[in-house]
Amino acid sequence: MISPEFSTLVTLVFYALASIVGIAGMLAHSAFWRRMGCRLALAGFACQTLMLVLGFHKTLPGGLSLGAYLQLLAWFLLLCGLLVWWRLHQEPLLLFSAPWGLILFTMSAPYLENLVNVPPSLHTPFYALHIGALFLSLALLVLAFVAGVLFLFLEGRIKKKRRMALFWQDMPAISILDKINAFATLMAFPLYTLGIVAGLLWAKPVFGNTITGDPKEVISLIIWLIFAALFHNRLLRGWRGRKAAHLTVLIFILCLFSIFVVNTIMDTHHAFIRL
Amino acid sequence: MDCTLFLLGLNHRTAGVDVRERFSLANHCDQEHWALPCTGAIHEAMILSTCNRVELLATGVGNGREQMLQYWANAAVADISELTPYIYIHENLEAVRHLFTVASSLDSMVLGEPQILGQLKTAYRKAVECKATGVILNRLLHMAFSAAKRVRNETAVASNAVSISYAAVELAKRIFGDMRTQKVLLVGAGEMAELAATHLLQTGVSEIFVTNRTYARGQALAEQFRGRAFPFDQLAGCLTDVDIVITSTGSEEPLLNARAIKSVLKTRKNRPMFFIDIAVPRDIDPDVNNLDNVYLYDIDDLKEIVEENMASRRDEAAKAALIVDEEVASFARWLSNLDVQPTIVDLIKRNERIARNELAKTLKRLGQVDDKERMALEAMVNALMRKLNHDPIMFLKRGGMSQEDSARRVGILRRIYNLDNAPDNGEESNALLYD
Repeated sequence: MISPEFSTLVTLVFYALASIVGIAGMLAHSAFWRRMGCRLALAGFACQTLMLVLGFHKTLPGGLSLGAYLQLLAWFLLLCGLLVWWRLHQEPLLLFSAPWGLILFTMSAPYLENLVNVPPSLHTPFYALHIGALFLSLALLVLAFVAGVLFLFLEGRIKKKRRMALFWQDMPAISILDKINAFATLMAFPLYTLGIVAGLLWAKPVFGNTITGDPKEVISLIIWLIFAALFHNRLLRGWRGRKAAHLTVLIFILCLFSIFVVNTIMDTHHAFIRL
Repeated sequence: MDCTLFLLGLNHRTAGVDVRERFSLANHCDQEHWALPCTGAIHEAMILSTCNRVELLATGVGNGREQMLQYWANAAVADISELTPYIYIHENLEAVRHLFTVASSLDSMVLGEPQILGQLKTAYRKAVECKATGVILNRLLHMAFSAAKRVRNETAVASNAVSISYAAVELAKRIFGDMRTQKVLLVGAGEMAELAATHLLQTGVSEIFVTNRTYARGQALAEQFRGRAFPFDQLAGCLTDVDIVITSTGSEEPLLNARAIKSVLKTRKNRPMFFIDIAVPRDIDPDVNNLDNVYLYDIDDLKEIVEENMASRRDEAAKAALIVDEEVASFARWLSNLDVQPTIVDLIKRNERIARNELAKTLKRLGQVDDKERMALEAMVNALMRKLNHDPIMFLKRGGMSQEDSARRVGILRRIYNLDNAPDNGEESNALLYD
């Protein structure tokens, strides 16, 4: 009875309900519905975790498909939201991650059969490190992005002395959002670096050169430079708040550009995850 | 309902402070000086006397209302004619609605302020101690408390600060979240700054520093808040450590400007700072608000927030009024059920009497019956009686009936079962089973 299709549907329903109930709870300023939204998100997460434990993603031949990759991203985002809910008692981030889960899950459906065709010669530890580290770093960036955008909105309201009622009243304090943003970016940068270094080392035996001039490589290095500036300034120069949040948003948008635009319209050897 | 519920009162809208003082019953609420003796026409009574209102609530018959008025005038050593221009009188469900509105703080001077509920609870406790309350007032007050709780939980009538000092505290929470790690600096010792500091202390801030031109005054204030005092010339040095700064000095020139704060920010690694400038003329240059991670609110900003919050509370009051309506309807239902209670008791007694007589006759006819058989027969009779009583009782207790409808049903049932002519044999009824 618990087939991959059935549990995918159940998870999808939970994430959809969590998104509707949670966002409605925030808009209506209702603690009850917000709590319900969080519980539904938790139920969806539990369901998806069960799917992972039962190894449903492995039922597809050839290992991870692009769809499974998107689902895994949804799972990681929900995990981050749940951790923030559990440790900091802040509901909004979990409630915002539920729609992300829903979107990623819905997006994953057509690509579950879309296998990542990696030639056997590429099966090296660097490949796993390249994909794994960049995946985790991207998931952390989503968290940093959500916290950053919320920070910018809330901080703007406080600066401009606008009233914080109803919807705004239930949002976390801006210092907490800044802390989440700092934590996520400080964790994400080393992972991003690791992913890129692994990719460069992997490129040498496969493509004959460390630097191949691939468009994906170029944009990734640009992102890395901006990311490095953010990491350095946050850690050593005490950057906080607005500046850091703006830079996080920029990095995230460049990442989206790299994934969805470069992979789709440019000639790149990363195109095996073409959408 | 033979018995009427009365509410006599005056409040901040109907009477000025001098009148409220004169007719206050604050000293007549305890056992020794109780102003409303429950005798004759007054069955139950309660007095709520605060600085903004005096309310007398009672149940009674006949001229109970006039008696209450007389007691009130007597307690205030005045004539009724002096009192009547300022008071309002509500009866039955209007009295209930008024009480629920008061309990929910919808009738308060500051809409949604929480004190009134506490005052009402105290007034009720005193009335209970005086043994002045009974079935109706006990139920009414408990329902008033639950109506107030609903209004508080389901509407935003009590949310958002409506005082300057609370507005400042709410803003600090929006910025810092966890207040336990924050440090506060008071610059100058104005009354409003002290109030804000008191509220901040209640949120659990870790430490309060005080600096004042007159060091001794600063020291006294620091002692009051269990904080530390600093000489005024060390103000700049203090800023590195503190997160919230409340200024209220009489200085003609700004004490702090953007340049000074910028260098402070560097040493504190851009940790956010919140400045609350209550002084007029202002102590902090408005440019400070343009710095990153610095938030500056002056007295006008805070006033504006308070006014907006007040307006939003007024909007929420309409929602709260609907809740009050629902609760009044719920009390009305209970009250109409209360009217049917004597009829239910009569019905049960009547049926019990018939059943006992028939059981006695049957046992007599059977002659020798052992205990087991007797108990089985009795159990059967009891079960039969309960089942036969069920439908007529439900007929009386059906929810959502108007008072007239309820009275009509009582009349029908009494006629069908001939309850008004039935002999009462005084047997104990198990009416409670049917409550």
